[in-house]
Amino acid sequence: MRPLTDEETKTMFEKLSKYIGENIKLLVDRPDGSYCFRLHNDRVYYMSEKILKLATHISRDKLVSVGTCFGKFTKTIKFRLHITALDFLAPYAKFKVWLKPGSEQSFLYGNHVLKSGLGRITENTMQYQGVVVYSLTDVPLGFGVAAKCTQECRQVDPMSIVVFHQADVGEFIRNEDTLT
Amino acid sequence: MKRLYIGGLSHSVTQKDLKDRFGKFGDVEDVEVRTRRDDDGVPYKTFSYININISDADLKKCMTVLNKSKWKGGTLQIETAKESFLNRLAEERQTAEEQRLQQPEVEDERQKMLDSLSKAGVDNFTMKAAVPGTEVPGHKDWVVSKFGRVLPVLQLKCQKGSRARTVNYDPSKYSHNIRKLDRSTVEQHTPVTQLTWEEQGGDDDISKKRRGEFPPYEPPRRKKSRTDVVKSHNAEGGAGSPPRRPLRVKTVVSVDHTEARRFTNGDQPPTNHRLAQRRTPRSTDWDIDSDEEIHKMVTAQNTSHAALQQQQEEEEEEDQLEVVGLDYLVKSGRKGGPDDKDENDYDSADTDELFASRKPPLPPLPPPQQRSTPQAPAQLSGNDRKRKMKKKKSTAGEEEDDSSGAEEEVASRKPSGEHSSQKQSKKMKVLPVVSLLSSESDEDDEDEEELESADCSSDSDYEAMFSNVTRLEISLADLQKLAEESSGQETNLTAGSSERPTPKKGTTPEEILAAIMEDSSDDEQQQKKKKKKKTKAAKVSTPLPAFQGTRALTGDAVKAAPPSTPRSESSSSEEEEEREEEGEKEKVVKNMAKKAETASSSSSEEEEERMKADQTGLTAKATAAAPSSSSSSSAEEDEQETAPPAPHSESSSEEEEEESEEEEEEEKQAPARVPLGAKEEEERQRKTNMRRLAAVQQRQKEAEDHKKLIQGALSSLDAPKAGAGKHIVFGSDDEDDDEDEQQTTSEVTTPKKTLSQDGQSEDEAAVSEKETTKGKPSVPQLFGGSEDEEDGDEEEDGSRFDVRPQFEGRVGQKLMALQSRFGTDERFRMDSRFLDEEEEEEEESEKKKKKKSVTEEEEPLEEERKKNLSILQSVLGSSQQTHSGKTAVKAKTFRDVSALHYDPSREEHAAFETKTEETKKESKAARRKKREEAQKLPEVSKEIYYDVSGDLKAVFGQTKDEDVAGGGDEETNWDREEEAEEEEEEVGGKEEQLSLLSADPGAENEEASGFKFSFFEDDTETGSGETAEYKVESIQAPKVSWQQDLRFQDSSSEEEEEEQQQQQEEEEEEQSSVTAKTTEEETPSKTDLFFFHLGDSRLTEGPRLFCRPSQLEEQREQWEERRSELRQEYRKKHKDARRKLRSSLKS
Repeated sequence: MRPLTDEETKTMFEKLSKYIGENIKLLVDRPDGSYCFRLHNDRVYYMSEKILKLATHISRDKLVSVGTCFGKFTKTIKFRLHITALDFLAPYAKFKVWLKPGSEQSFLYGNHVLKSGLGRITENTMQYQGVVVYSLTDVPLGFGVAAKCTQECRQVDPMSIVVFHQADVGEFIRNEDTLT
Repeated sequence: MKRLYIGGLSHSVTQKDLKDRFGKFGDVEDVEVRTRRDDDGVPYKTFSYININISDADLKKCMTVLNKSKWKGGTLQIETAKESFLNRLAEERQTAEEQRLQQPEVEDERQKMLDSLSKAGVDNFTMKAAVPGTEVPGHKDWVVSKFGRVLPVLQLKCQKGSRARTVNYDPSKYSHNIRKLDRSTVEQHTPVTQLTWEEQGGDDDISKKRRGEFPPYEPPRRKKSRTDVVKSHNAEGGAGSPPRRPLRVKTVVSVDHTEARRFTNGDQPPTNHRLAQRRTPRSTDWDIDSDEEIHKMVTAQNTSHAALQQQQEEEEEEDQLEVVGLDYLVKSGRKGGPDDKDENDYDSADTDELFASRKPPLPPLPPPQQRSTPQAPAQLSGNDRKRKMKKKKSTAGEEEDDSSGAEEEVASRKPSGEHSSQKQSKKMKVLPVVSLLSSESDEDDEDEEELESADCSSDSDYEAMFSNVTRLEISLADLQKLAEESSGQETNLTAGSSERPTPKKGTTPEEILAAIMEDSSDDEQQQKKKKKKKTKAAKVSTPLPAFQGTRALTGDAVKAAPPSTPRSESSSSEEEEEREEEGEKEKVVKNMAKKAETASSSSSEEEEERMKADQTGLTAKATAAAPSSSSSSSAEEDEQETAPPAPHSESSSEEEEEESEEEEEEEKQAPARVPLGAKEEEERQRKTNMRRLAAVQQRQKEAEDHKKLIQGALSSLDAPKAGAGKHIVFGSDDEDDDEDEQQTTSEVTTPKKTLSQDGQSEDEAAVSEKETTKGKPSVPQLFGGSEDEEDGDEEEDGSRFDVRPQFEGRVGQKLMALQSRFGTDERFRMDSRFLDEEEEEEEESEKKKKKKSVTEEEEPLEEERKKNLSILQSVLGSSQQTHSGKTAVKAKTFRDVSALHYDPSREEHAAFETKTEETKKESKAARRKKREEAQKLPEVSKEIYYDVSGDLKAVFGQTKDEDVAGGGDEETNWDREEEAEEEEEEVGGKEEQLSLLSADPGAENEEASGFKFSFFEDDTETGSGETAEYKVESIQAPKVSWQQDLRFQDSSSEEEEEEQQQQQEEEEEEQSSVTAKTTEEETPSKTDLFFFHLGDSRLTEGPRLFCRPSQLEEQREQWEERRSELRQEYRKKHKDARRKLRSSLKS
């Protein structure tokens, strides 16, 4: 476990900023105590200082997970967001997409969101903007990337993909063994 | 008559001349003279045709006489000519005339035919009202076909294969194929374009595509352009898409053009967007004619498509897809984009305020990481620490090795430079040459190595190091074999090798053999190197002894002389013999050999060392130290460094054994050395000297480090001895709070320390010697990566124990003052014990550090945060002010979203519980009340009512009012009942007795009391029961139900009523008429009361029900009266119902 290097921090922040924009600072600079990002086994964990201290007592090879896993760095040093970060990112999300009840399941099985399943979308969503996917009952379901901007979303035919799937809460079950 | 051509006439010849001339031979009928003139009118040719009646003989004669005869200056040329065209024309006409004359005959035949047909009833080849297939009478080959047409039977000749045969075709048989065509339809030719069928379909995309109308192809545009488009859309704003569509069409068309052109090499104009989409250069055979047409089509298609799409869009927009602003408020209370300040104070749920209120103020400054981190390693087991140290040392050794000239030397010897990179491969190469045995053993060794590496592979760094360095290990047995072999062979072969003009470098017989066989200097060099490696390997195979030897060297580092010492010192007899054989040409031994020598020469020293080790008792620390020394020794050699560590982890006893073994090994190895060329050897000597010196220096350094470590450890050991109540602090964070606890914990932890280090405690003397200056105090970091840090950690470990006394007296005092005071105390203590100033200084510095860390506990995290923020700023590209100042304010409003969950143990959270219980309570209370009232109720209403036709509510109201006035005898009656039902009431049921029978006062009592079941009149009773409830609770609903119940209640009166609709009336009637009726009280729940019992009132009253209360006549009259009324009412109701039904149907 170690703090992130500058580059790592940068790549991670760039990724996070796709979803929550400048709200990252609310994660970094929290008024309720100091929180930090730590790298462990190529994974980035977000934890409070308190937990960090507790974790120092555990040897590296024995430490499985600490705090909340935000994602992992791939071998090519790209940052990949995990669904576990949803709890922290969803409230700060700038662009959201709401799914109709019928297509929720499809999304939760790892499929992209089609226009037919799109219930609501934040206006002025640009193409390839990271979005947080909600159900119409405002339950956050996962992360995605807007395949089309809002204007285009209105015009495309119902079977075209509107949001690319990135992570969904179904992974808690599907990838139970790899999620930490 | 013949026509003759006469050419070659002179221009002056006339017709007469010709007539005369030819008149001799025949009768000249006509002469025609022609002259050809040029442009000027000068005749250049004259000829003539003459018609002449002449016999053939005469013609012959004429020809012979006149042909080619000269006449009037010209040579005649006579030929027979064709008849003149006039004649021919005339002839043709004549023949035509003749033909014309012949034709009428055919006409006649046809006419005849027609005539005959018409005679048979055929008019214009149609025969009216004739069945198809009938033959025309008188005409064998004519048949009537469909529509009465008369057609000939055809005889067709068909040629099948070689033979021909005739087929009769009877049109009447195929007449059903004939179809009458309208003239108009026949005339209308459908254009070719319309001949293709068209598929109908909806306007959706799929059917369009099926029809071949593909949406305009959009080539992948760059993002920027896309965004531009988007922007333009946005600029259009709420107006929406309509204006935008045509634009798009245009662009698409243009795009298609370009695309198509690209495909068609530019010579064909773009045809269709479809073409472009398909990306096939088919425009050449595209069958649409002109470009304009195509353009039109395309545009038309696009526009239509666009229009359609527009429609769709509008529809879709209506039904679905909400677009939401950034500030969209989530239903649950979450806010969308926290753009402004308010949104920063995130409001995730209703519970937030509560959380904020209960959230404690910012926790006290979290303890510094710095202090906690150095202690973490301290908790590691002794093994771990040792391993780490080993690692560090070995890396150091590697580095130094690189810096030393060892490799350079080898490289210089072998310019190809393979050496460094291909050590492993070389080794492999050598092995087959040497012996199969050895190679096998090598493999085995490698396996062993792997095992070892697996053992110590807990650290990836360590592994990485291993991977970089080739490891050579040969088991002892193998080495022995090798040595024996080599010694044996060498003696045989040295003579041959010495004979060689070039100095042989082969150290082992195998090499010499190889040299003889290959006989090339290069190979020799290589092999030499290999040999070296071999020897090295040999050394490596006995790793512990080797390092021990070097260790001995370091121990006597001051001496440092051995490298150049002659071989004879302590070498075995074998060695000496060898050298004598080799003679004086090779002055110096190979470096490896030398090393071995030095090792052997210093064997005595080694022994001394061992003695020391014995003294120290070979503690764990000692083993830890060993690796360091080994690494230093390995630094002198090329590749040995990494191999040893695994063995080091073995116990010290093993080490000893191995040492002894190693000595033997060395002795055996000695014979393997082979001298080199004098010059080379000199060079090498120098280099080896240098290397050795460097190694020795390094060795010294490491020894110092080691000493330091031991010192630190010892000091820490001593500390607990000094003060029994001293303690170790693991969590430096909460020093203030945990002081008391720490004391206890320290007592527990100290023994551990001592356990891990008791080895060192044994040799205090050695430690006292080893007091040296400590290096720069390294700043403790969380996860230190460099050696310095490691050392620093060790130091920290030591110093921690020093500091421990600090904590002893600190109880109940302020941290700073106490620290400083106890620091001085400690110093005193330390002085008295160790008389070491440097250590004190160090301690002081460390104390300072600690003070600092106390004050700046938060710093690393703070710094990290700042760094993160700065990075964030750079990422976002916007200025961010840090909110550290605001945090205090924000803390109040801040709500941790992740921490939001319902905790049932918290009182505040009770607010989120749905309050079902309260209502329940109420209902319970109400129920209890009800029950109580029900129990109380036995108040009896003495009212007697005769008529229920009025408002029932009023009636019951009355009863209540007159409860008090009720007669006593009824009460007794009720009491009687009550007795029977007491138990039941207690159980909780509300058993009230009621009777609708107005005449019976007892019944009334029961009615007031509540629920009632009548034997004969169930429904009425239950209804009345409900009314009783109603009275008690003043609940509205039961009333309605009661009324309804009343409507459907069954009458069991003596009068027989056929019509169900009149039941109510009957009831009323009954009630009015019946004066005395027995009350049958039955509680529905009480089954035993269902049966009669002795003294049951029902038994007395029941029979009365069968008696007619009044005269039959009277009743009948009454009934007649009533009946008419009832009928009317019924009809009216029926009508109403019908009307209602109709209206409902309509609607």
